[in-house]
Amino acid sequence: MKATKLLATAALWALCSTAAFADTTIEFIQWWEPEMPAGALRGIMDDFEKANPGIKVTLVSGPYATTRDQIVVGAASGTLSDVVGLDGAWVNGLAKQGAIASMDPLMANAKYDAGQIADIVKVDGNSVMFPLASFVYPVFVNLDLAKAAGVDKIPGTRTEFADAAKKMTDAARNQYGWVLPLSLQNPGGIQNDVMSWTWASGGSMLKDGKPDLENESVVGTLEYIKSLHDAGVISPGIFAKKEQDKVEEFVNGRVGMMVDSLAHINLIRERNPKLNFGIAALPAVDGYTGKRGLPYASWGIGISEGSKHKEEAWKLVEYLMSPDVNGRLVSIANAFPGNVNAKPDFSTSDPLFEEAFAIFQSGHLANEFVGLPVAEELMRQMGIEVQKMFDGSETAKEAAANAQKQWLTKF
Amino acid sequence: MSSVVQGLAVQPAKKRSSGLLTYRTRKRLVPYFYIAPATLLFSVLMLFPMIMVFRYSLMDGAIMKKDAAFVGFQNYLTIFRDAIFWQAFGQTLYFTVMSVVFHFLIGLAFALLLNTQRIDPAVRSLLRVLYILPWLFTAVIIAIIWRLLLDPNGVVNSVLMALHIVDFKVEWFSSTATALHALTFANIWAGYPLYMVSLLAGLQGISKELYEAAGIDGANELQKFWYITIPQLMPIIISIALLDFIWTMQVFPLVWMTTGGGPIYSTEVLSTYTYKLAFSQYEFSLASASAIIILVISMSVTYFYIKHQKGR
Amino acid sequence: MAQRSSKRSSSRSILPTVLTYIGLAIGLVFAGFPILWMFFSSLKSNTEIFALPPKLLPDVYTLVAYASIFDDPVKIRFFINSYIVAGVVTLLTLLVAIITAYGFSRYAFRFKNTLNIFIISTQTVPPITLLIPYFGMVVAFGIFDTYFALILTYLVFTLPYAILLMTGYLNTLPKELDEAVLVDGGTSWTALWRVIVPVSVPGIVATAVYTFLLSWNEFLFALTLTKSMDLRTVPIGIQLLMGQHAFEWNEMMAMSVLGSLPLLLLYLFAQRYFLAGMTSGSVKS
Repeated sequence: MKATKLLATAALWALCSTAAFADTTIEFIQWWEPEMPAGALRGIMDDFEKANPGIKVTLVSGPYATTRDQIVVGAASGTLSDVVGLDGAWVNGLAKQGAIASMDPLMANAKYDAGQIADIVKVDGNSVMFPLASFVYPVFVNLDLAKAAGVDKIPGTRTEFADAAKKMTDAARNQYGWVLPLSLQNPGGIQNDVMSWTWASGGSMLKDGKPDLENESVVGTLEYIKSLHDAGVISPGIFAKKEQDKVEEFVNGRVGMMVDSLAHINLIRERNPKLNFGIAALPAVDGYTGKRGLPYASWGIGISEGSKHKEEAWKLVEYLMSPDVNGRLVSIANAFPGNVNAKPDFSTSDPLFEEAFAIFQSGHLANEFVGLPVAEELMRQMGIEVQKMFDGSETAKEAAANAQKQWLTKF
Repeated sequence: MSSVVQGLAVQPAKKRSSGLLTYRTRKRLVPYFYIAPATLLFSVLMLFPMIMVFRYSLMDGAIMKKDAAFVGFQNYLTIFRDAIFWQAFGQTLYFTVMSVVFHFLIGLAFALLLNTQRIDPAVRSLLRVLYILPWLFTAVIIAIIWRLLLDPNGVVNSVLMALHIVDFKVEWFSSTATALHALTFANIWAGYPLYMVSLLAGLQGISKELYEAAGIDGANELQKFWYITIPQLMPIIISIALLDFIWTMQVFPLVWMTTGGGPIYSTEVLSTYTYKLAFSQYEFSLASASAIIILVISMSVTYFYIKHQKGR
Repeated sequence: MAQRSSKRSSSRSILPTVLTYIGLAIGLVFAGFPILWMFFSSLKSNTEIFALPPKLLPDVYTLVAYASIFDDPVKIRFFINSYIVAGVVTLLTLLVAIITAYGFSRYAFRFKNTLNIFIISTQTVPPITLLIPYFGMVVAFGIFDTYFALILTYLVFTLPYAILLMTGYLNTLPKELDEAVLVDGGTSWTALWRVIVPVSVPGIVATAVYTFLLSWNEFLFALTLTKSMDLRTVPIGIQLLMGQHAFEWNEMMAMSVLGSLPLLLLYLFAQRYFLAGMTSGSVKS
């Protein structure tokens, strides 16, 4: 009885799906629709459909935290959407799984000028992801707190930052200089709040594409954050804190400084209009004069290997990456563009975006986790070592050495 | 679904008139009609995925590699050699046993309190509703509530400090000393109502005559509880405790959303361990092996349950 | 009735009553405080939820969180979907569980233990690992992204406990009840529905409440087995408010409060049958 019912449902479903396909419908899985103002992404899709008659786009939207799992599961059973929203930390695994396709043949086919893409993410030599929108992570400073604590200059070096953090800390009043999220659920804090210090000073955690965690620069970063921890300037609850908690503490004036995404500017304004804050590039080691690496997170875009409509999917990717559309999208999302020719319109945005854009242009984007194998696992392993270091069971050197040992098994 | 049931209803009558089967054969077949729908459902929907998971566990790089080869029990050996697995195993046992015991104790206590004739019926009806409150929420929101309540600057700390029970801000979820206990507490809070409701239903099914007879024999309240209530509830208690054990072994969203297995490995349980293998390291074969190990542990507990059933 | 009044007179001392009330009060704080706090948080602004020192009551009451749910038809749809799925699953689970439990409780047959172990063992594989093969199967059946997929899935999740609970409950009912019907020439089938089911109402209601809540709150499979917004349920709606960079705390709380209200009403309604079951208990023995 059940079997016939199932069969009937299946037949009906098959019938519907063949009958409805006068147009080509492509699916686009991402977590951005709920992140953007209601209807914004759909609006862009509607314009794409107008510009490309015969192609319809269905948005498949899910929560950020589970989107990666959904992509893995979808690819394993052949139901992955045609166009896929990606995070730099996922691409290596997804490419190895055969979930996402190389876009090189499609680019060649379309005679696409790859030079206009700010940064193409490659795995094993194949172009698998274009960062569509990048969210840069500068330092946010609560200016009122700073002033009250006698800090009259936004810190530019590590020493200045440590001094400022100490001055702003007043544990009796629940006020701390810095906030560091090291939750293991989403170990992104290692990328955004820890390793970013290395990149800002021109350091690297890789050498010839292999882990190199025992170098002076990485160990120095670990020693530095350990010294901040020992000085008691980091807001408590570090090991369970997430990025979303970090920003709430800043909004409530409980922490003086944080390394954080520009995506948060509007949120902070909305939740606490009275908060007086500024932004600056991440402090570098004293005396460093080179270009500063700016940590960033991006909304990347790629195409599913299993897609039956790769040509149409490519059209959508090309459309989203085109200067005008890209500029429009990043202006809505408060991000920086993935197309070098895009001119985002920040005129209606917060004045701080102008400042941020200046920081953005004076430095270079740096996120060495993008494209690494099992990047999330690497962050988590390092997160555990940093936690051990904070708990006092190992030194910065040992933490770096242990993380290095574990990382080597993954490369 | 409904036609299956109708068939069941009609069949015995039909066969009686047709006389194709003897009365004895028909009688022997009756129980199979009753259990057929559930058996069919489980066979169709669960058997295949379970076999697939077992198959993955014997392969090298299932899902990730197109030509994954069979490697026998290699993945199991890899798991057994992992010290973190054993730590997760111990922590899972602590988490599970504490949860089951306290679920039962709290559930029974509430069920008994709500079943007494001592309290006003209106109060009783109201509390019956209020006591199941924790049950009404999805795991995600339970994790969020407890993360906020147990934040170093959260309500729990400020109440405890006001009462001078603690004199500093305890970092419940972010200290290796307290995280596992805090997590177990949150899980106990979230899970007792199932026991309460089931035991309440069970209490109301116990015949009043049993108590009256015991009263005539001079039994006191405690004796009635021990010799009538508990034995009468035993089948229900064993059933829930068994399934609760199995479910708690696998509790994932609550652990994942509160601590993610940290700090360090202090709240790593088998479910987070398995999840990380699958979705963070893309080692689906190892994850499947770990899942099969959980299955075997749960099954051995089930075995004791079945033995207990036979003994009755 | 007579027994009830005799009990009342026997408890002459007031102490047990006082202790009972104290126990109830402690229980109330334990069960209710986190929920109360959540309820008031849903009436706060996002900023105030993090105010220091933490406060239970909002300084400024606001209904923004509720407004943003009611203003959005997509979010309202989440609730409707949850009702449909949980409601259908509850009915089907009860039907199958009662039939199966009756078979287990009243008959001895070959493979009974094997079947019992099999049913329970389907619960022992962590869902997260079952996800990939299960999902592949649902796609092969052609029911991916339908209510049907969710309903079937929840049915196999809820049935094991439902069957165990109902079997345990039916075991407490004397076999003489069925035999009376059989003697009168009825079948076991009529005995089940005419006699056994009516006296099993407390057990059935407990099973129903359990089933409804489990299907209402399930997250992982609801997310994976559907992809259209039109089919998503409340737990996914809540997680959609947990963004990449920020959470909508008050709206998550508000959605949970709204989600729990109908469940409370349902339970209140079901309670009447608990009480009905109490009096029908005298039918037994």
